[in-house]
Amino acid sequence: MLLSLRAAPSTRPPTPVSRPVRGLSRLARFSWLRCAEGISLWLAMVLMLFVHPMYAEAGPLEAEQPGQLYLIDHKSAWQEPALVLDSRFQVSVSGLLAQTRLTRTFRNTSDRWQEGIFVFPLPGQAAVYGLTMTVGERRIEGEIQPRAQARTTYQQARESGRKAATVEQNRPNLFTSRIANIPPGEAVTVELRYQQPVAYRRGEFELRLPTTLTPRYMPGTPVSSPAGSWQAGWSVPTRQVPDAPEISPFTVLAEDVNANSHRARIELEIDAGFALAGVSSPSHRLQVSVDGSRAMVQPEAGPVLMDRDVIVRWQPVASQAPMAALFHQQWQGEDFMMAMVLPPATTGPVLRRELVFVIDTSGSMAGESIRQARSALLRGLDTLRPGDRFNIIEFNSEAHALFMQPVPVDSRVLARARRYVQALDASGGTEMASALSLALAGQAPSDTGNGLVRQMVFITDGAVGNESALFDQIRSGLGNRRLFTVAIGSAPNTHFLREAARWGRGQYTAIQSTAEVDQSLGALFAAMEAPVMTDLEVVWPVGTADAEPARPGDLFQDQPLIQVVRGVAPLGEVAVSGQLPGGRRWQTRLDLASAAPGQGLDRQWARGRMDALMDHARLAGEQPDEQGIVELSVRHKVMSPFTSFVAVEKTPSRPEHSALDQERLPTLLPAGSDAGMLRYPQTATLAPLLTALGLLGLMFALAMAMLSRRGV
Amino acid sequence: MSRALLLIIGCSATLLVFGLWIPFKALVAQELLELAWAESQARQTAARPWPWADTWPVARLEFPEQAVSLIVLEGVHGESLAFGPGRVSTGAPAPMILAGHRDTHFRPLQHLQPGDPVRLQSANGGWQSYRVLDARVVDSRREAIDTGAINPDALILVTCYPFDTLDAGGPLRYVVSAEPVYAQEQNETVAAL
Repeated sequence: MLLSLRAAPSTRPPTPVSRPVRGLSRLARFSWLRCAEGISLWLAMVLMLFVHPMYAEAGPLEAEQPGQLYLIDHKSAWQEPALVLDSRFQVSVSGLLAQTRLTRTFRNTSDRWQEGIFVFPLPGQAAVYGLTMTVGERRIEGEIQPRAQARTTYQQARESGRKAATVEQNRPNLFTSRIANIPPGEAVTVELRYQQPVAYRRGEFELRLPTTLTPRYMPGTPVSSPAGSWQAGWSVPTRQVPDAPEISPFTVLAEDVNANSHRARIELEIDAGFALAGVSSPSHRLQVSVDGSRAMVQPEAGPVLMDRDVIVRWQPVASQAPMAALFHQQWQGEDFMMAMVLPPATTGPVLRRELVFVIDTSGSMAGESIRQARSALLRGLDTLRPGDRFNIIEFNSEAHALFMQPVPVDSRVLARARRYVQALDASGGTEMASALSLALAGQAPSDTGNGLVRQMVFITDGAVGNESALFDQIRSGLGNRRLFTVAIGSAPNTHFLREAARWGRGQYTAIQSTAEVDQSLGALFAAMEAPVMTDLEVVWPVGTADAEPARPGDLFQDQPLIQVVRGVAPLGEVAVSGQLPGGRRWQTRLDLASAAPGQGLDRQWARGRMDALMDHARLAGEQPDEQGIVELSVRHKVMSPFTSFVAVEKTPSRPEHSALDQERLPTLLPAGSDAGMLRYPQTATLAPLLTALGLLGLMFALAMAMLSRRGV
Repeated sequence: MSRALLLIIGCSATLLVFGLWIPFKALVAQELLELAWAESQARQTAARPWPWADTWPVARLEFPEQAVSLIVLEGVHGESLAFGPGRVSTGAPAPMILAGHRDTHFRPLQHLQPGDPVRLQSANGGWQSYRVLDARVVDSRREAIDTGAINPDALILVTCYPFDTLDAGGPLRYVVSAEPVYAQEQNETVAAL
C-alpha cells in the first residue's frame, strides 16, 4: 500500500487538470505533494521501526527460554484455571442453631485429570458433621477418621485412580478440602454438613456465613528457604507458623477467575420460633418472604460473588423478644438440653476507666478496612469522659504508642489523638505480639489503686497465622483488664477475634460497613460502660449433669447465657444466678418441661466438650488430650483438629497411563480491601500504544490528503 | 472532506503527542530529580522535586553495564512511576523492591544478565553493590510478592513483560532478583596479599 501510494504520483502526469491553473500555483501544489510524500515515507519508516520488534520478539521467545513455556499454552493464551468452583449454601435455622449444607461442585474444564485443593473458611464455632461426595448419580458417604489415617486413605485412593474427597481442619475456622481424580470435562460434588450457633445480641439474631478469607500474615523467621526460589504467594513455614503454606491460598481478584467460578447460591430457611418483624442483611440485598415465625431468604442478585461474608439478621416482633429458651433432644438414648437465658438490663454507677485502643495498621487493612478502623477509633475517643485515662497503640511490623503511658483525658490530648488517628495509614506486617505486649505492659503501681476499670479495645481484621500463641499471651498478661475486640473488613478472622475476647474476658463486635460503625460500636461502648454480671451459676436438677461450657464467663449487657447439657431429662427446673456490681444477686428459674424439641444438640455439646479439652490443655500448658478428643469426635461424628472426613470411591476411574494434575484453587480478595503491597504493581504505560496509533492516524490522514488533492 | 481530514490529523497528532509525552516526561523528570536528590543528600531529609509532588527521591540506581543511572522515588503509584522507578513500601525488615515502567526507565532490565552488577546509593551517600541472581517471568494473577520469604537484604526489580507490546494491562511481570555483594575490599586485600 505504501509503495503504490508513492508510485502513484510519478506514473501519473501532473499536467492534465480540468481547470486552468496558473503556473506558479501548480508548482506550489506539486512541491506540496512531494513534501507530503516525503513525510508519509518517513512516518511509515518510523512506524515500521516502532512496530517491528513486537513481531520479531513474539516468535523466538519460547525457543530462547524454554523454562518459561509453562506460562503459555499452545494457543499462546494465558492458561485458564482448570477447575471451576460452584458453591451452594442451604441453611436451615431452627431456634438457636443453624444447620448448613454446603455443596461445592468442582468442574474440570481441562482435558487432563485433576486434583483440586481448596482452602476455605467456615464459621469459627462450626461443628462439621458430614461429608458426601457425589459422582454422577452415586453418593458416597464420608467417614470420620483420625487425621493421619484419613490422609493415608486419601493418598492411597488418589494413587490408585479412585475418586476421593477429604476435608481437614487447619484452624477452627479454616479448612482444606482435597478432591482427587476429577475426570476431564466432568464434575465432582462434595457436600459438607455443619452447624453453628446463631448469635443473639441486642434483641437481634445474626448468622454469618464466611465465603473467603483475608490473606494472613505469618510472623516469625522462615524455617527453610528453598535454595534459589522464593515461593511467591504461598507463604513458607515460619518458626511461629509451621503450617503457613497450608493456610495461605492464593488470593485473586474476581476478574481473574472464570466468570462462573467462585459464585455461591445461598438459600436460608428460618424457623425462628417467634413472630418475625423483619429480616435484613448489611452485606447483601435480600429477597425475603416472611410467614409468621418462618422466613425464606435468598440474595436478590441470585448467585453472589464469594468475596465477603454473608450476614443475615432477623428481629422478633417487639413484644416477643425471647428472654429465655429451652431445647431438648434424645440422641442414642441420652438426653441433651440447651438453655438460653438473657438477664434483664441493669444500670450501675458510671465507671472511671483506663482505655487502651490498639489499632491494626498492617497491609491487610489497606483500603476500606483502615477507613472503618479509623472511624471506629474516633468513635471510641468520643466516649471518653473527664477522669478517664487513655492511650492509642498502632501496629504493623512494629508497634507504636501515642503516649508513653495512658494519659488523663483533656481537650488538648484528645485533639492530638484525633490528628494521630486521622494520619494512620495501612502497610507492613502484622506483628500483633509486640502490640499486645506494649498494651499489656505498663501496670504502674499507682494505677491499680485508683479505682480505674482497665479496658482494651483491639481493632483489627485478625489476619494472622499464629492465633494460638496470641491467646497464650492475652491469658498470661491480662491481669485485671478486659479485652474487647472489633472485627473490621469484609472477611475478618472472626475465630481469632471471638476467642481473643473470650480469653480477654471481654466481648467481640464486628463492623460490616462504614455506615454501621456508629450503630455497632455504640452498642459495644454501651456494653463496656454497663455493669458486668459475674460469678454465674447454673444449677441443673440432676447432680450428674454434664454441661458445656462448665463455667460460663461473665455476661455483658444484652448478652445471653447459653449452655448445652448432657444427661438431663426434661423434668424439674434449672436455676440461673449471677452477681451484679454492688453485691446484688440476680436469679431466675426455668421449667424444663417446657423445652421445645431441638436438633443437633449432641453435636453442639460434643464441640463444646472438645473446645473445653483444648482450653484445659492451654491452661495447663500441656499437649491436648488427643485420644479423648478423637473418641468424642468419632462417637458424635463431629470433626476436630485431630480428625478428618474422607470419602472414597470403590472402583478406580482414572486409567493408569493418564497423569494427574494438581490445582490449588485461589480464594477471592475480600471486597473493599486493597490488593496491598503484596501485589505486583502495574508497570507499563500507554506510550507505545498511543505513539503507534498517532503515527498510524497521521499516515492515514496524509494518504487521504494526497489522494484528495490529486482527485481535485 | 478537508474538515474530516483536519479532524483525523488533529486526533492523531494529539495521540502522538500524548504517546511521546510519557517518555519525554520520564526523561526530563529524571533531570529534575537529580537536583532533588542532591538536595536530599545534602540536607539528609526527603526533598520533594517540585512543591506539589507527592513523592520524593529515596535512592539512586545504577546499571553499570548499561551505563544507566536512575533516581528512585518513593511509592509505586502512577504519579511516581511516571517520573522514575518507585520503591514498594514494605515493612521494616524487608527486601528492597523497585518497580519501573517497562517502556521508560526499566527498559534496560531486559539486558540484565545473571552476574551483572547493580549499584544502589542510599540517601546518606553510601553505595551498595548487588549482583543479579536471576530473572523470571511471573503471572501477577497467580503470584504475589511474599516479602517474608525473600532474603531481607535482597534487591528485587519489577517491570512489565513482555517488553515490546502495545497492551499496557497485561498480567505478566519480569522480576530480576539481585543479592548484595559484601566484603569486596576484603577480597581485594586477600588478592593483594
